[in-house]
Amino acid sequence: MSNDPMHQFQIERFAPFEINGIDASFSTASLFMVAGAGLATLFMTQAMAPKAMVPGRMQVAAEGLYGFIHSMVKDATGDEGVKKFFPFVFTLFMFILMANMLGMFPYWFTTTSQIVVTAALALMVFATVLIVGIGKNGAKFLKLFVPSGVPIAVLPFVVLIEIISFFSRPLSHAVRLWANIFAGHVLLKVFAGFVPMMAAAGFVGVLGSILPLGMTVALYALEFLVAFLQAYVFALLTCIYLNDALHPGHH
Amino acid sequence: MADSDPPPGGAPQDTSALRAKVEHARAAHARKHAPQEQTSAASLAMRFGGEFGSAVLVGAGAGFGVDYWLHTNPWGLVIGLAAGFAAGVVNVVRVAKSYQSANPVDPNAPSVPDDAED
Repeated sequence: MSNDPMHQFQIERFAPFEINGIDASFSTASLFMVAGAGLATLFMTQAMAPKAMVPGRMQVAAEGLYGFIHSMVKDATGDEGVKKFFPFVFTLFMFILMANMLGMFPYWFTTTSQIVVTAALALMVFATVLIVGIGKNGAKFLKLFVPSGVPIAVLPFVVLIEIISFFSRPLSHAVRLWANIFAGHVLLKVFAGFVPMMAAAGFVGVLGSILPLGMTVALYALEFLVAFLQAYVFALLTCIYLNDALHPGHH
Repeated sequence: MADSDPPPGGAPQDTSALRAKVEHARAAHARKHAPQEQTSAASLAMRFGGEFGSAVLVGAGAGFGVDYWLHTNPWGLVIGLAAGFAAGVVNVVRVAKSYQSANPVDPNAPSVPDDAED
């Protein structure tokens, strides 16, 4: 295998396929997205299959995740939001969590390290905010861009700034997840790559290679934390943005 | 909290020691389970950077788009970039505000924090 830290992000096309010049091949990225969605579904259905009054280990884990996200959505968007958006937010969270965790296996592919995937997820949230916000509040949704109590003279500038601020959300939303996962995996591969490089340099090198190996193990633990935390942060920010769709003008 | 008042008649020594222990554990629990977006200063810094940078990029991109369609070079880019910077600052202030309201400063904290190992 290559020691190139970027090698892990290369996409292979299993089934080349094109629609009107758009590459829609089934690739490694597609495979691991399907695997992530499938694993999330499998986990939730299998863990909850016993429906036991006194839950087993798997059921506790599933109920814990469900309750955790449910209370987060409720805190951020209120009773109305949790009714409307909980399935959406929980699906996003489980998908990102499972995709991140699948990516932790050596030589496997991490879909969330591709910005096109995180951008698609962030744009989905953005579109939901726009559609629900305008559908529910109509013209009142535009209040989001007009803070109250601003003198009329500076209002055009403030509105312009608010609009730019609003449209910068999907970008920062997508980049945060992508950058964390991408940087973490590059770092892991760089440190892991030092081990065979040093070990090739003879006996002293073999002894010295313990240091980057230890670092890799420590970073692995950190990456597991990041994999969970970034899924949580993505879901949390989704809630904050969705809250704006329900209650514009509450900045 | 009502139950943090000492019981009438004065508490014996061991009870107050226990109470202190309970209070400490409760505070630690509350700290651990407080609604928190970020865990470390580094991730907060990453968030500030991301919010600022994305607003600048979006502002400049929007300005460039206006130039491209309306042939107003270079004013769209200039104004868009400036507005993007302003929007970035607004974003950063918003994140800082939400972080501060999620992690309020402890009013009983010592006035001089130990920053020796920072």
